[in-house]
Amino acid sequence: MTNSAKGSANFRVPVLSNAEDLINSVDTFIFDCDGVIWKGETLIDGVPETLDMLRSRGKSLVFMTNNSTKSRKQYRKKFEALGLTVQEEEIFPSSFAAAAYLKSIDFPQEKKVYVIGGEGILQELELCGIKGIGGPEDRDKTIQFGPGFFIEHDKDVGAVVVGFDQFINFYKIQYGTLCIRENPGCLFIATNCDAVGHFTDAQEWAGGGSMVGAIKGSTQKEPLVLGKPSTFMMDHVSKKFETDKSKICMVGDRLDTDILFGINSGCKTLLVLSGVTTLSMLQSPENDIQPDFYTEKVSNLLTQNDTDV
Amino acid sequence: MLGAITMVVAASRTTLTLSATHCHVLLHNNIRPASSFQRLKIPKVAVSKTVNLRNSSSSMSVSAKASETSNGTPKAGASTLHNAEELIDSVETFIFDCDGVIWKGDTLIDGVPETLDMLRAKGKRLVFVTNNSTKSRKQYGKKFETLGLTVGEEEIFASSFAAAAYLKSIDFPKEKKVYVIGEEGILKELELAGFNYLGGPEDGNKRIELKPGFLMEHDENVGAVVVGFDRYVNYYKTQYGTLCIRENPGCLFIATNCDAVTHLTDAQEWAGGGSMVGALRGSTQREPIVVGKPSTFMMDYLSKKFQISKSQICMVGDRLDTDILFGQNGGCKTLLVLSGVTTLSMLENPKNSIQPDFYTNKVSDLLAKKSANV
Repeated sequence: MTNSAKGSANFRVPVLSNAEDLINSVDTFIFDCDGVIWKGETLIDGVPETLDMLRSRGKSLVFMTNNSTKSRKQYRKKFEALGLTVQEEEIFPSSFAAAAYLKSIDFPQEKKVYVIGGEGILQELELCGIKGIGGPEDRDKTIQFGPGFFIEHDKDVGAVVVGFDQFINFYKIQYGTLCIRENPGCLFIATNCDAVGHFTDAQEWAGGGSMVGAIKGSTQKEPLVLGKPSTFMMDHVSKKFETDKSKICMVGDRLDTDILFGINSGCKTLLVLSGVTTLSMLQSPENDIQPDFYTEKVSNLLTQNDTDV
Repeated sequence: MLGAITMVVAASRTTLTLSATHCHVLLHNNIRPASSFQRLKIPKVAVSKTVNLRNSSSSMSVSAKASETSNGTPKAGASTLHNAEELIDSVETFIFDCDGVIWKGDTLIDGVPETLDMLRAKGKRLVFVTNNSTKSRKQYGKKFETLGLTVGEEEIFASSFAAAAYLKSIDFPKEKKVYVIGEEGILKELELAGFNYLGGPEDGNKRIELKPGFLMEHDENVGAVVVGFDRYVNYYKTQYGTLCIRENPGCLFIATNCDAVTHLTDAQEWAGGGSMVGALRGSTQREPIVVGKPSTFMMDYLSKKFQISKSQICMVGDRLDTDILFGQNGGCKTLLVLSGVTTLSMLENPKNSIQPDFYTNKVSDLLAKKSANV
């Protein structure tokens, strides 16, 4: 599909009618997780069979999620609990991305990272030998305001990493703000900026974009975003799996993270409607992010012939 | 993406201008450049009847515009206040910011009582405009009293009051509700204005558990979410506000202010209202209607109320991107004091494009007969 064809007013994203062609044209599938593989803690229909089929055809599978609450190890356990066999090295949560990034810039050993987010980030930092502070243990900290009162902050914090945090509170916001504003050269890193996510299958929940937004508001700084749609994780994956980006298909449910990520990286892109995006959102004149194909859900890759959506 | 743009344009119609911070965020979000704003069809959004809508060409150029004179030539840098008497004689009203100007936390700044007395003795009208929405006008009146200052409630304009006044000005329906992410002050002002509210400090104790099948209910009658500084901010409130804005048709997103930091205690700068507003911006991908400084909503409100001409006003504040920008957008004289968050080097930094007419150490320099040494 040429870019000019995509840009025309009458262009409509085609439904995936020939799954075989798509499967044959790539050697790696990158799957988003929430809304593609599972919704909250519930597996989406047909996923195990689809993954098995792709593996039996020699495809490499990668699972890339912006959800930074768990580490790769913890995600592997989640896959296992849902009956899926997935290796740790196939999983790329944005918690891992944060640690991988800091490692790639030789983040100094003597510096620390203040975390506004979940266990996952702290675990990945530890695995990379980076000192992390904050995280879940700051969830119950409160501040009593009175004349002369101020909170101390560690001057050795060289980076603040912000991701989804359901225990966000003013103490964490203030601590992160002080580090960024007062520690010279302190980095402001976001695992992701998703506005909402399906943290339970019943509803959309305010996402990491909310916690990052809070720190943006108090520091007036833009973070370095590591998760989708930033291509940081794609560069990491293509290097690790030694594969050309044109031979990768990104499968996701969200236009402004998953699909944009795939487009920015030069991969093929497949939107599934099993998550946050509906067909009308895709086809809305206000939307200018066009995947190569769309389909109902991942298991539509299983059908040999035309898929009816 | 367009949704965010139209909201911004609508906001600029009602509040005339957006803060420098806000512009910075817009640019990085790759929202279309300023020129496309003119081409957009402005959607129907409630417009304040008290606001005198000026043709603000583009929100992007706010900070640049602020430092230009009316014929577009760049303004010279701020001058030190050599002749306090001349400034005092040239205006009839002084608008004072509070944090960093009158007090710092709960500590009065030196020389303030005598300065206010002197100005009153000279027949000047005094108004106090603060972005701090944690207290109501009445509660601020008590704070002034505790510090030994005689200030009437009618002279105080906190952004908590501004939020209620804005809703009143757009005839916000009485059967609708307001969800508040903020403190007592906002609740009290909403109550005084006759509006039904939900939320506020008591939601600070609410917790949620993200387990399978769990769904948070929200009141479908909420027609506006008002966000201001909230030391009890938590995920429950963030989610509740997000649901209302995303799912209740026509629900307004109103910010009392977007200050990045604030002097809640005199010992440190604390993350401000901009933080709570930022959280909701992040989850809704919408821009709020900002009623506090530097939006001129409060300026238009009080100039109408007191029948004062804006050229007869001097805005005195410690913050460039709220107080001084507010004064400039309102067409007033501006005096920056260095007793709060802004230092001389911040003012003189080449990256700063907001230049007040004058600057001085503190408010009591207005008492000086000769030039103040900074």
